[in-house]
Amino acid sequence: MVLLQLDPFLNELTSMFERSTEAGSVWVTLKRSSLKSKVVRNKMATAGEAIEYRCLIRATNGKKTISTSVGPKDHQRFQASYATILKAHMTSLKKRERKDKKKSSESDKREGTSKRPKKS
Amino acid sequence: MVYITSWDEFVERSVQLFRADPDSTRYVMKYRHCDGKLVLKVTDNRECLKFKTDQAQEAKKMEKLNNIFFTLMARGPEVDLSEVTGKEQTDVQPTKRGRGRKQ
Repeated sequence: MVLLQLDPFLNELTSMFERSTEAGSVWVTLKRSSLKSKVVRNKMATAGEAIEYRCLIRATNGKKTISTSVGPKDHQRFQASYATILKAHMTSLKKRERKDKKKSSESDKREGTSKRPKKS
Repeated sequence: MVYITSWDEFVERSVQLFRADPDSTRYVMKYRHCDGKLVLKVTDNRECLKFKTDQAQEAKKMEKLNNIFFTLMARGPEVDLSEVTGKEQTDVQPTKRGRGRKQ
């Protein structure tokens, strides 16, 4: 498990997405963590110190795992970059063709796009 | 595995789950480009909520949910969420950098 700084993590995440376009998945996990063991946490709680929590982010492609931890100061910047990466790579999802819900009687998740091919 | 069909229900229940137990709740996202599928999972190791989609518009909604979780996790579960827009309401730790560097 590789723990990286913010920017190298984002770079690695980008290349992970690029490498898994033909086959494979990318998993990204978000969890809150203080990165300290329970013993240390209890001690801090009894001593009256505030425990600083960070957001732990892990990404894997099944073979390799990378991770980083984001504090409240960096989270907005990370969030913006992360959103950009996702938007750039999630291109294989279907675009919604029909806007009003009356015509598409079934839910949007149907895969029947061949009925009205607009992109032919 | 519970697959939720309504996006709003998924969001509401996952935030509730997180607020109830912030230390063990995690949010997982799996994306498969070859299949064009996106699956989201929120679990606290007791209960599990999942959501799957192949729609691009749901990906946009997911981005908002990502923002919500980032804010919740980095700042704390008592943060007042105003659905992404007003994130500077929390006065726990006023970020000095955040003001001028918004892109």
